[in-house]
Amino acid sequence: MADQGGSQHGIARTSRVRTEEQKQLEQEKIRKYRELEEQVRSHVSQNHYTPEVFQLTSRLLKLNPEYYTIWNARRRLLISGLLSKPSAGSSPSRASPSSSPSATTTTPSAASSSSLSTATPPRPASPTAGTSGTTAEADEAKDQESDRDVLKSELNFTIPLLLDSPKCYWIWSYRLWVLNQAIERLPTAVARRIWEEELGLASKMLSKDQRNFHAWGYRRHVVTQLESAELDGSSMAEAEFEYTDKMIRKDLSNFSAWHSRSKIIPRLLDERKADDAARRAFLDKELGLIRDALNVGPEDQSLWYYHRYLMLNLVNFVGHPTIAPAFTQEDRVTYVIREIEDIRELLEDYDDVQLIYEALFDYTLHLCQLEERQPDPEERVELAGWLKKLMVLDPMRSGRWADLERDTGLVAEVAALER
Amino acid sequence: MTDQNVAEEPPLAISAHVQYIQRLDKRRDEYEYWLTEHLRLNGLYWGLTALHLLGHPEAIPRADTIDFVLSCQHENGGFGAAPGHDAHMLSTVSAVQILALLDAFDDLEKRGLGKARVGEYIANLQNKSSGTFAGDEWGEQDTRFLYGAFNALSLLGLLELVDVDKAVEHITQCANFDGGYGVSPGAESHAGQIFTCLAALTIAGKQEYVNKARLGRWLSERQVAGGGLNGRPEKKEDVCYSWWVLSSLQMIGKTNYIDKDKLVGFILRCQDTETGGISDRPGDVVDVWHTLFGLTGLSLLDYPGLEPVDEVYCLPKSTVDRVLGR
Repeated sequence: MADQGGSQHGIARTSRVRTEEQKQLEQEKIRKYRELEEQVRSHVSQNHYTPEVFQLTSRLLKLNPEYYTIWNARRRLLISGLLSKPSAGSSPSRASPSSSPSATTTTPSAASSSSLSTATPPRPASPTAGTSGTTAEADEAKDQESDRDVLKSELNFTIPLLLDSPKCYWIWSYRLWVLNQAIERLPTAVARRIWEEELGLASKMLSKDQRNFHAWGYRRHVVTQLESAELDGSSMAEAEFEYTDKMIRKDLSNFSAWHSRSKIIPRLLDERKADDAARRAFLDKELGLIRDALNVGPEDQSLWYYHRYLMLNLVNFVGHPTIAPAFTQEDRVTYVIREIEDIRELLEDYDDVQLIYEALFDYTLHLCQLEERQPDPEERVELAGWLKKLMVLDPMRSGRWADLERDTGLVAEVAALER
Repeated sequence: MTDQNVAEEPPLAISAHVQYIQRLDKRRDEYEYWLTEHLRLNGLYWGLTALHLLGHPEAIPRADTIDFVLSCQHENGGFGAAPGHDAHMLSTVSAVQILALLDAFDDLEKRGLGKARVGEYIANLQNKSSGTFAGDEWGEQDTRFLYGAFNALSLLGLLELVDVDKAVEHITQCANFDGGYGVSPGAESHAGQIFTCLAALTIAGKQEYVNKARLGRWLSERQVAGGGLNGRPEKKEDVCYSWWVLSSLQMIGKTNYIDKDKLVGFILRCQDTETGGISDRPGDVVDVWHTLFGLTGLSLLDYPGLEPVDEVYCLPKSTVDRVLGR
C-alpha cells in the first residue's frame, strides 16, 4: 500500500552499535512508553472518557503521532465528554460516525445513550434538562463557547506535531475532523474565523516545504470550505491565483504552484467574466511569464510542464474549458508558430538541452494536428533532426524515442541522418 | 547492464535480505519497534511479500502468521494494525493480501469471521454518492483507499459489493493534463497516486480512460541521471518509485521508456549488503518498506533469481494467478 508512515527517508546509515548505557536508556524509554500505552488502552477499552485519560492521549500522541488508534480514541473522548452533546436541531449523522469502530470499543452514539452514563462527564458545563426557552438559549451559547475553546485547543495541540511530522497523514486528517466539528457545532461566523486561520497554517507549512503535497491538498480543501455556503463563503480564486504567483516568483521550479495555477485559471477567467480580448491578454501574459522563466531555466521540467499546459489550451480545446475558447483556427496556428519560433531561439544559447528539442518536436506535431495535415517534407527533415538529437542527448529514454520514430513514420529520415 | 555498472554495484544480497526481514520481529529491544506497532500488519505484508519474491516463503512460520493476522480482526470484519488497534482499510487490505499469499482464505472462513464480513466492512467505507472510499469510519478519503478496496475485494471475489462505476468516475476526475493522477480532484500528479488510480482502473477493466501517451511520457520523465526514479517533477529519486513508476509503466506496456539497466544499478546501490535491507537512496537507513519496493522493482526488471511480481496487486504473480484462477 502507498503508506509511507514509518519508513525511513533520507536518514544516513550509521553504525548501530550501542553502548551498554545507551541500551539501558532505550529499555527505560520503551518501558515508559509501553506503560503509558497500556494505561491509555485500558481506560479506552473500558470507556473511561475522562479529562485524565484525555491528557494521557496527549502525552502518547506527542511521543507517537502516527498512532491512529489513539487519535480515534481522542475523537471519541471529545464526542462523549469534552464537547457538548449535539443539539436537537443538528443532524446526528453529521455529528457521530456511522459504523461500529471495533468489537471492543463502544460507539459514541451507543455510548451516549447507555453504557457511558456511568462515566464521569468531564465537560465543564453540562446542559440541564427541562429548561425554558431563554435558559436553553443561554445554555446553547455557553455550550458553543466551551466547544470553541475545546476545538481551538485541539488545533493548537496538533501544530507542533505537524511541524515535526509534516507528512503524517493521521495528524492532517485529525485536524480536518476538528475543523468539521467547528462547522457542525459553532455559529457560522465563529467557525469561519477558525477556518480562515487555517490558510495561515497551510502557508506556513508550504514555506517550510514548498512541495509538500499534504499541505497543498490541505490548502485546497480549506479554500473549498471557505468558499462554500456552509461558511457563508464566496470565491477565492483571485486570492489563490495571487498565491501561486507569489510561490512561483519565490522559486520558478515549484511545479506544485504551477499545477495549482493551471487548476485555478479556468474558474478565474469565468468569474472575471473575461471577454475574448481579456482572455487573449491573459494567455499572452502567461506565455510571457513562462518564456521569461524558460530563458533562464530551459532545463527545468516544471517550466516545460506548464508550457505544455498552455499549449494544450491552444490545440486540445474540445470538450473542456480552455483559456481562449473563441480563438479562431488562424489565431491558434499563429500562436503555436510563434511559440515554436521563440523556442528555436533558445537553441542559440542552449544547444544541448534535451527539453528544447522535445518541445520543438512536440509543438510541430501540434501545428500539423491543428492544420489537419501531415508534416511536410521540410518539417519531416527537421523532426528527424530533433529526434536524432534526443536519441543522442537522452539515451535513457531510447524506447520512447523509438516509439515516436515509429509512430511518426520517421524511421527512414532518422536513418538517413545516421549515414 | 553495461560493464562499467557491473563493476560499481554489488549483486543482490539475497540471504542478507532474508535475514534482515526475519529479524524485524525480534527487535523488541528497540524503541522504534514499539513506535511502529500501528504498521505491524502492513509490515508483515511488506516483509512476507519480499520473502516470497526472494524465494524464501517459509522464512516466517506460516501458522503463526495466520494466527497473528486473525487476531487483528474486529467484529465488524475489518482488521487493525495489531491486536488493540482500530480497524482500518490499510491494515484490512494487508490482512487480505497476507492471507492470499499464504493460501489461507479457508482459515479466514473457519477460524476468522469469514470473507463476507471483510467484504462488507470494505464496502461500507464507500461513499455511495461520490464513489470514493474512506480509510475508516472517521472519513479521510484518498485514492489509496479506493485502490486498496478494489485490490482486496477482487482477491476475495467480492468486487460486486461496491459501485465500481462510481469509483471509476471519481478516478477520472483525479486525472490531470499531464496524463497523471492526484490524490483527489485538483491535486498534482504523483507517481504513488498514479499507481493506485491506474491499478484500480485495471482491476475494473477500464484502462480505456487512461491517456497512455501522455502518462507514459510523464512516467518516463521520472528517471533522473543516476538511474533512480522520482515521484514528481524536480524531486529527488527514491527506491519506492522504482515500484510506483515502473509498475505503472508495466500496466500500460511501456517499461521500455526508461533505462532499465540504470535503474537496476540504482536499486542495487541502495542495498545494505552486510546487514540486509534496502534504503530510499544509497547510504541511507534501510526499512522493510523500501526493501519490498526495491525487490518488486528488480522483479519487474527481470533481475535473475527473483519470483515475478504482479504489477497490479503487488503480490507474486503465482499468488494472484492462483487466487483469481487465471
